[in-house]
Amino acid sequence: MSSLLQREREIIVKNEYIDRFDFDEVEDFIKGASKDLFISHKFKTSSEMLVQPRGGFPTYDKVFQLYKEFKDANVDVLPLTIDSNTRLNDYASAKKMLALSEENDVDMLNGYPLVNHGYRTTRKMITHYNTPVSLRHGTPDARLLVETALASGIFEIEGGPITYLLPYSKNFPMDKAFLYWKYVERVCAKYSELNEPINRESFGPLSATLQAPAIVIVIQILEMLLSLEEGVKSFSVSFSQTGSMLQDIVSSNVIKKLSRKYADQFGHNDATINLVYHQWMGAFPYNKEYSDSLINTSTVIAAMVGADKIITKTRNEAFGIPTKEANALAVANVKYTLGMLKGVPQVSDEEEEENLTNEVDEILEAVFNDKADTLWRKVFNSIKKGYIDIPFSPHIINANEVITIRDPESNIRILKKGNLPISDKSFAFEQSKIKLAEGERVVDKIIKDIGIML
Amino acid sequence: MSKLFIDIGSTYFKVAQDGKIDQYFRDFNKNILDDLNSKCSDIISGYKKEDINICSSANGGLSTLIIGLTNSFSLTYAINIAFNSGINIIDTVLYPKIESEPVPSEEIDVVIVVGGIDSVEKIFDEKLLNYLEKVNYQNIVYVGSAKNRGFLEENLENVVVLENIISDKLKIQEDALKGYLTDLYQADIVGKEDIKQLYEITSNQIFSTPYIVNRSLPKINERLDVADPFIVVDIGGATTDIHYSRDLVNDNIISESGYDRLVFKKLGVYKSRDSLVHTAKNNEFVFELLEHLNVTENILEEQSEKATRTLMQLAIFLVLYKVSKHHGQYVELNLDILNSIVLTGGITKVLTQEEVDDIVLFFYKKILQFHHAPTTLLDSNYEIWTYGIQ
Repeated sequence: MSSLLQREREIIVKNEYIDRFDFDEVEDFIKGASKDLFISHKFKTSSEMLVQPRGGFPTYDKVFQLYKEFKDANVDVLPLTIDSNTRLNDYASAKKMLALSEENDVDMLNGYPLVNHGYRTTRKMITHYNTPVSLRHGTPDARLLVETALASGIFEIEGGPITYLLPYSKNFPMDKAFLYWKYVERVCAKYSELNEPINRESFGPLSATLQAPAIVIVIQILEMLLSLEEGVKSFSVSFSQTGSMLQDIVSSNVIKKLSRKYADQFGHNDATINLVYHQWMGAFPYNKEYSDSLINTSTVIAAMVGADKIITKTRNEAFGIPTKEANALAVANVKYTLGMLKGVPQVSDEEEEENLTNEVDEILEAVFNDKADTLWRKVFNSIKKGYIDIPFSPHIINANEVITIRDPESNIRILKKGNLPISDKSFAFEQSKIKLAEGERVVDKIIKDIGIML
Repeated sequence: MSKLFIDIGSTYFKVAQDGKIDQYFRDFNKNILDDLNSKCSDIISGYKKEDINICSSANGGLSTLIIGLTNSFSLTYAINIAFNSGINIIDTVLYPKIESEPVPSEEIDVVIVVGGIDSVEKIFDEKLLNYLEKVNYQNIVYVGSAKNRGFLEENLENVVVLENIISDKLKIQEDALKGYLTDLYQADIVGKEDIKQLYEITSNQIFSTPYIVNRSLPKINERLDVADPFIVVDIGGATTDIHYSRDLVNDNIISESGYDRLVFKKLGVYKSRDSLVHTAKNNEFVFELLEHLNVTENILEEQSEKATRTLMQLAIFLVLYKVSKHHGQYVELNLDILNSIVLTGGITKVLTQEEVDDIVLFFYKKILQFHHAPTTLLDSNYEIWTYGIQ
């Protein structure tokens, strides 16, 4: 008799919008797939930082053209951004909007409805370009989407039960998100045994609004552990540009050090951990020259933090979804800048590193001390208790008690710690850096800090 | 040492030990304990009192009337907690309209009054007292704004005041009310001699069966071929219970369990048969369904095995219809993303897997215009409850 997981998979793929799903054929395909499709292989064999843009259109043809532009710009990793209806498992609306997009040559979706296109069709495009593709979605229940992606030849899956829920959803039940992602991890682990490992990547930017590095790193490590405990062997932790070069460098040093430490501590010494850096994820300036400058600066920081992969933005960011030409230009420019940044000196700030390390350790200790018998439930309970609290998360389970603002050097600091289980010493360090101008209201400062790049 | 689990139902009881479940039809000429002993005293005598766990739906459960200030928060939250505690809701009253609301004729075990976050005052006044004077109730509990507690305590004898179920951030706080209702169920059992006698064989608390079933749901897909999100449908003689995965609804309730319960009071195939037939006749799709089943409308008036089977098939259809987007009620489930349907209770003894699949597919084709339906599973061994009682 097949395993319980396999029996659940059989139910998941029996869906109104799926043609017959042939697990045996998919397994054969992954076994024999070109190693060039695996980003885990590319990480292993490349000495340079990989460059990945963002992008996705509703129709097959437009994505095909987008990939062509990207390949011409010498991209390392192709993105496949999924539309919002699919993210919410609303395949019926996605189907209608896809039909309208195809008939009228107008984009009625903000991404590629992968489930509706199906794996047989999509695989043709993925294997044609023979380049790693990263699945970007934001789906709490990504089981069917990920089955379809893997069957298509997409061997990097972004997201996780925390990072694809709390920043994106208002009321999707969190315990379900944990269980649905456990399924995803298990399927990724299973396929990892057939060829090169499937790479899982967490989404560090969170709500992309004044995220305290300690919270980001805690969540990255927890999602990594949840993934590795199911058998995943290649994982990318990530964070986005904070707006302070120093804080980015400190964050990268701490996330690299602690993700390895905790992976080893939990017995996952054989797992590969990569670092991904997102260019500025907050509000972009309307002045395109300023955007160019911001993008260039973040490319320099990515080189300084020693990222394994950078995810790019475009100068059109403030105006909507970029054209394929603008997107390809951004990739070419980032590649050009990176070419100049060889042998960047290592810098850091010991005091800042020590404090950030302490904060992360303190929060994780509280999470691990929760009385639940499984890691996912410890994390779930910790979120309910506000030990993990993401500023500006729309989700009703998020405590929303933590308030963050910038210090005079633009570092993001914790002004109100809510229930974050950090020590008085760590909190005092945060407080010591904050300087509010006389009479300045916190809310005004927050608004100013959010719009720091405008 | 293994444990013995016993579920006392209205028509038969089930005894589970070491994964083996036996079912016995109730002998209504005997009280429950005598009946149980006459059929399985050998089994029971092999266990200590602390190793025997019992749940029961035989005493009908508790009935409640909920009076709330708003539909969005007070009533929604209180209904959710009451259902998940295994309570039957007789009626709900929206407080601003209380003067024109009818008064339930039956005796109510517990009235729940709720409204406002703690900072809101002067919500309830004489109108509440005037209404309650006409209600025949046993207990009353207040779980609303702290600033209104004084008014209720001064004017209502024996009112129990608990933590507000609505937090200052408008989130649900279910623990206090859920605990109270579960304890009250216990007291209700104690008041019913038939069930009370069962304490001669167990030293553990006797819970209501729906509460136990609800507790078992997170464990179902570890043991059965079921994929979340799923629903469990228990079509009984008098009522129909649905337990559903919370990602099928779009509301703002975060409760401890990932599953909620909903009860259709007058949807059963025996005691509520007339009501079921009435509902069926008023459904525009039912005649097509009867044609699909190759029977005529006359079958609804018959008393035969064939008629019972047809009624059960109709019940499955009507339950799905009532929770679908075509029927805006307290709860609307997103059936488009449903992966599995589990059927439990007496219906699994009557209908075959093919008959169930046929009805579910008919519903999905006819109502949702799908070509595909969720997988179905019959809990023929009626074992789901054993996962929750352990």
